[in-house]
Amino acid sequence: MIHMLIYPCEQAAKLSSRALEQPLTPSERIRLKMHLIMCKRCSNFSRQIEFLRRASGKMPEELEKEED
Amino acid sequence: MAEEDDQAQSLEAHRKYLYRYALFHLRDPALAEDAVQDTLMAALAQREQFQGRSQLRTWLTGILKHKIIDLTRSRGRGLPADAFALGEDDESGGEFNAKGKWIDPPADWGMPDAALESSQFWRVYQQCCQRMSKRDALVFSMREVMGLSSEEICKKIEISTTNLHVILFRARLSLRSCISKNWFGIGRD
Repeated sequence: MIHMLIYPCEQAAKLSSRALEQPLTPSERIRLKMHLIMCKRCSNFSRQIEFLRRASGKMPEELEKEED
Repeated sequence: MAEEDDQAQSLEAHRKYLYRYALFHLRDPALAEDAVQDTLMAALAQREQFQGRSQLRTWLTGILKHKIIDLTRSRGRGLPADAFALGEDDESGGEFNAKGKWIDPPADWGMPDAALESSQFWRVYQQCCQRMSKRDALVFSMREVMGLSSEEICKKIEISTTNLHVILFRARLSLRSCISKNWFGIGRD
C-alpha cells in the first residue's frame, strides 16, 4: 500500500498518456487506477488529455469552417 | 478535354482547405504549398479513382497526409535525423520537480467540451500547438489530428515506440498547460 502512495505523479501522468497508445499491463492498470483515485491532480490530467484527443480529432472540421 | 478541365477545377476548389491543413501540420508556407501541389498532381494522375464526388475532399486529404509525411522525410525538414535522441531531462517538459511532483498541478476544467464550439478556443488551440517544437507538434498532429496509428507513425518516420511515447507525452503536457492558462484561465503565467 505504501508504494502505491509514493508512486510519483510523473509516472502516473506518463502511464495515462501511454494508455492512449496501447493497453497497459494489468499491474500498470491497477497502479494507475489507485493513483488516480487518490490524486485529483493526475485524474484531472488524465481527463484533460482525453479531452485534447477529442478536440484534436475535430481540428480538420475547424479548418473547413475557416473557408470564406 | 472539357471533362479534364472540369476535373482540374473541382480539385482547385479544395486547394485552400488543403493548404490550411498542410500548413497546420508543417508550419512552413513553402513546404505546405509543395505538399498541396503534389497532392493535386497525384489526384489528377489518378482521377479515375474519384468517381464519387461527395468524398472528394476526404480522398484528397488522404493523399495529402502521405505527401506531408513524404516531404518531411525527403527534405529532412521538421524531422532532423537525430531529433529523436532524447535526454532524460526533456522528457517531461519541465512540468515535474526532481521528486516527480507536479510543479503546476492540473486543476479542474469542469465540463470542457463547450469550448469546442468556440472559434476563439480554436485560435488558442492552434497557438498552443505552435509553442511546441516542430517535430513534437508534427508527431502529435499525425497521431491526434490525422488519426494515424502509433505503429504507422513509428514505421513512417522511423522512431521507436518508446520515443513516440516520450514525444506524445511531452506534447500533451505542453498543450494541456498552454490551453489551461490561455483558455481555461488556470495555471501559472
